[in-house]
Amino acid sequence: MTFLKTLLLAGVVGLLGAQQPAPRRAGTPTPTVTGDAQQMLDKANNFWKQGLYKDANDQFRALVAAHPENPDFRVRWGELYLERFQSDIAADLFNEALDIKKDHARAMLGLARIAADEYDHKAAEMAEKATEADPKLYEARELMARIALEDNNPKKAQEQADMALAIFPDAVQAMAIKGTVELLDAEKLADKADSPWFGKILEKNPHNGEGYATAAHFFVLNRRYEEGIAFYRKAIAVQPELWKAHSELGINLMRLGQDQEARKELELAWNNQYQNKPTKNTLTLMDSYNNFEFYKSGNAILKLNIKETSARHYKESDVLRPYFEAELKRAIDTYEKKYQFKLDRPVQVEVYPDHEDFAVRTMGMPGLGALGVTFGYIVAMDSPSGRPPGSFHWDSTMWHELSHVFVLSMTKHRVPRWYTEGLAVHEETAASQAPDWGDRLDPHVIQAIKDKKLLPVADLDRGFIHPTYPQQVVVSYYQAGKICDFIAQKWGEPKLLELVKAFTGNTPTPEVIQKNLGLSAEAFDKEFMTYLDGETKKTVEGFDKWRTGMREVDKLQKEGKKDEAITKLLEVRDLYPDFVEHGSAYEMLAGLYLDKGDKASAMAQLEAYSKTGGRDPETVKKLATLQDEAGKKKEAMATLTRLLWINPVDQDLLTRLGGLEMANHDTTNAIREYKAVLAMHPLDQAGSHFNLAQAYQAAGQEDQARDEVVASLEAAPGFRPAQKMLLELSKTNK
Amino acid sequence: MLLGLLGIAPLQGTTFYLTVAGLGGEPDYETRFHMLADETDKLLKSGGAERVVVTLEGAAATRAAVTGALDKFAHDAKGPDSLVVMMIGHGTFDGVDYKFNLPGPDLSAGELAAALNRVPASRQLVVNMTSASGGSITALRKEGRVVVSATRNGTEKNATVFARFWVEALRDPAADTDKNETVSALEAFRYAQLKTTKFYEDQKRLATEHSVMEDTGKGSGEKAPSAENGVGLRAAAFPLVRFGTAKTAATDPQKKALLERRDQIQAQIDTLKFQKSSMAPEAYKQGLTAALLELAKVQEAIEK
Repeated sequence: MTFLKTLLLAGVVGLLGAQQPAPRRAGTPTPTVTGDAQQMLDKANNFWKQGLYKDANDQFRALVAAHPENPDFRVRWGELYLERFQSDIAADLFNEALDIKKDHARAMLGLARIAADEYDHKAAEMAEKATEADPKLYEARELMARIALEDNNPKKAQEQADMALAIFPDAVQAMAIKGTVELLDAEKLADKADSPWFGKILEKNPHNGEGYATAAHFFVLNRRYEEGIAFYRKAIAVQPELWKAHSELGINLMRLGQDQEARKELELAWNNQYQNKPTKNTLTLMDSYNNFEFYKSGNAILKLNIKETSARHYKESDVLRPYFEAELKRAIDTYEKKYQFKLDRPVQVEVYPDHEDFAVRTMGMPGLGALGVTFGYIVAMDSPSGRPPGSFHWDSTMWHELSHVFVLSMTKHRVPRWYTEGLAVHEETAASQAPDWGDRLDPHVIQAIKDKKLLPVADLDRGFIHPTYPQQVVVSYYQAGKICDFIAQKWGEPKLLELVKAFTGNTPTPEVIQKNLGLSAEAFDKEFMTYLDGETKKTVEGFDKWRTGMREVDKLQKEGKKDEAITKLLEVRDLYPDFVEHGSAYEMLAGLYLDKGDKASAMAQLEAYSKTGGRDPETVKKLATLQDEAGKKKEAMATLTRLLWINPVDQDLLTRLGGLEMANHDTTNAIREYKAVLAMHPLDQAGSHFNLAQAYQAAGQEDQARDEVVASLEAAPGFRPAQKMLLELSKTNK
Repeated sequence: MLLGLLGIAPLQGTTFYLTVAGLGGEPDYETRFHMLADETDKLLKSGGAERVVVTLEGAAATRAAVTGALDKFAHDAKGPDSLVVMMIGHGTFDGVDYKFNLPGPDLSAGELAAALNRVPASRQLVVNMTSASGGSITALRKEGRVVVSATRNGTEKNATVFARFWVEALRDPAADTDKNETVSALEAFRYAQLKTTKFYEDQKRLATEHSVMEDTGKGSGEKAPSAENGVGLRAAAFPLVRFGTAKTAATDPQKKALLERRDQIQAQIDTLKFQKSSMAPEAYKQGLTAALLELAKVQEAIEK
């Protein structure tokens, strides 16, 4: 039975139902109450401990109704909701407690926990405020330790953990953080398979798996999935009913393609009422695996969707496969040569036409790409059909993720986040040798540069994990990519590989930079900013003028002043030449030139647009049309070929490109394109089969040509060109 | 599927075209409707003789002008003639009546139907591409009349994109799926429907329009016309536009036998295709190939 059927039959229990026991947090101070309030509180806590969450909830409701002035009861109630995946309601209760007592430390801690779960940068500050309200609130110190370690700051993490232990020597999470710091720094896990800190946790309670679960969380956060899985296994070995560990184990097994065991763990968690969103969504995603097929090709496995839907009347695998396989091979061959590293097992690339399915893969993982993600040897990414055409460059994304496969493997997942992301961004254009791929300088980055918000290289990981402003993750990707561009430019491309190897030993960034580039991190930052300034100064300084200029152009156009608009656009375009998003100066200029009948100038603008990386399919096709009309057939072919790597799921594109390829005697690719058209069950069956027949005939494959021309005539028996071909082929067949 | 195999009826008589672009309400819609009407007008007028093309748009597209144009057609048209009415714009439906939004008083489906009924052309096609157009099907349907609607009922009230793709069908050879150099009403409908669906899919938007066709005189609109449901037979035989050099039937008596032989082979192919699912694949392929080859030879002989 699939998970979904179970869900429908059993109903979603949600917060409250017969649940697993909820242990009271060790050392949690009991609110000072007397009489019936104490009885009610005890009852609520007992229900909670027994896993009778609905009863606990009812009891808390009655308690709060009877004693509305007591903030402690609301906080305790909120902690129940927080534990049971309802952070919105928990937040409301914590805020209500703060309305009653504005410095209620546990309420502040509750809100800090919610923020930390969402990787909100304010979490540390909120936890700090809780410690100011109650210096003995060791759990706040534990939370700050966790956040510091998430920011890759083990020193600060240790300090906060020590402070927690000074308050309460048996603070489990503090011990777990200290143990995790030791493990993360270990050269080989076997040497320090189990830090003594975990032994201390087990001494106090041999059935407490929370310490191991914490270590696992950090391994996963650092993309060390195998080690994370090992520690989740340790957690459930000592505490089999630690359902969150079962869920996380399942999710991470799923990430590494171990689907059978993944499902077992997730269903176990689910059936024991650990029914949070990640568990549910992951099981739902796994149910959809029936809609996929695996295709092995060389050292790669491609997982493509085969389900026909009301919106997509064809198997996407039939269309995408030849394009993905060709690029997968090219990328792997390129990286093996460039990184001097051979993959020891196939890499699996999973392509999701439904973005929500892809999103499940990245949930709970901060700072990861919105388009693709890598888990060891598995890459998950959006399909080109999963997004509006032109909004997503599938090939650039795949090359980016494949860089991660190599770099993570080579460094045994020790490489810091910023470097692997920066290198992957760099390789989108460098390794692929396609300068029009990758992303351009966008307005958010320009603003960040203007506001001096770029991070020092030593802190750049933080920009991915705990962004302090909404676009900081995007800005961090850009910055990391430019850092790698800078290194390649100043020290040469091989230096990038040298740095990969340097990061293998868990060496901190400043040390690697000093040893391999001969600069302190601070000096490096200075040189990098000088480089970046050289690359972006004109655009950054001209940005406001560009914006004003574009508004002026809009006004001129509305007034019908086309010549003035052209003059203004030519001036404005060069202030921000990288802007190739919708409404770019290039497109507007092309439109205005076409209105004047000046096709050559229009073509020049669109050529610049395409060369700079413009991706709108209709605009790029317009360029191809102009090139074709001007007799520049090869250029038109190259222009349309660009679109294959952006979105090949386009009958018009494939038909046109096939025609140009035929004219250029490239029958191999013409056959590929025409077959892809037919895979999409086009309306014009006769024409599409005939195109393929012609390509086969030109390639000397007469049997296939005959099959296709018969198929064409089957759709349209009176189709003269196809009739003529059939007669011709029947003569040669004799 | 037999629908596409009936062949287009020989072009007889005159085809009367009336295209109406209604009130846009906003500048964007006004521009869009005007462009579509203009393009339709150009495409139809370039089609050659044996046709009358009238296009009403902007302030000229009043109820009186529409009924006036149809009344003129009623005066000029004869039985063998054809009538095509295409409506671009916004429509409304109050649960009972459909209305086409025009400058001044709107035109109800009932009023339109009454005007159409006065035109003696035996073959009629109404293409209502407005929002809520599905609400007009009941009033417009009639024996001998094909009704195409951009929406499946009167409650699909959002502005439609169907018109853009219907007009595209009039100029795109890809719409001519049976390659007889003529786009039939059925072919145009299928083309526009597919493109509309793809539009919403590409934009990742929920489709707010679902086109249907009615040509039985008694239905409420069918999304997928086929031989099985009996919808589309009339539409398949209704020529809308012709491409290339569409050949008229030869009158040379020496070719008469060849023409008859051609018709026989085409009928054989139709039967073979109908029997496909019950035949062994290889036997079907051989039979089909042989019949197609003979058809090609006969056609070659006709053209000599």
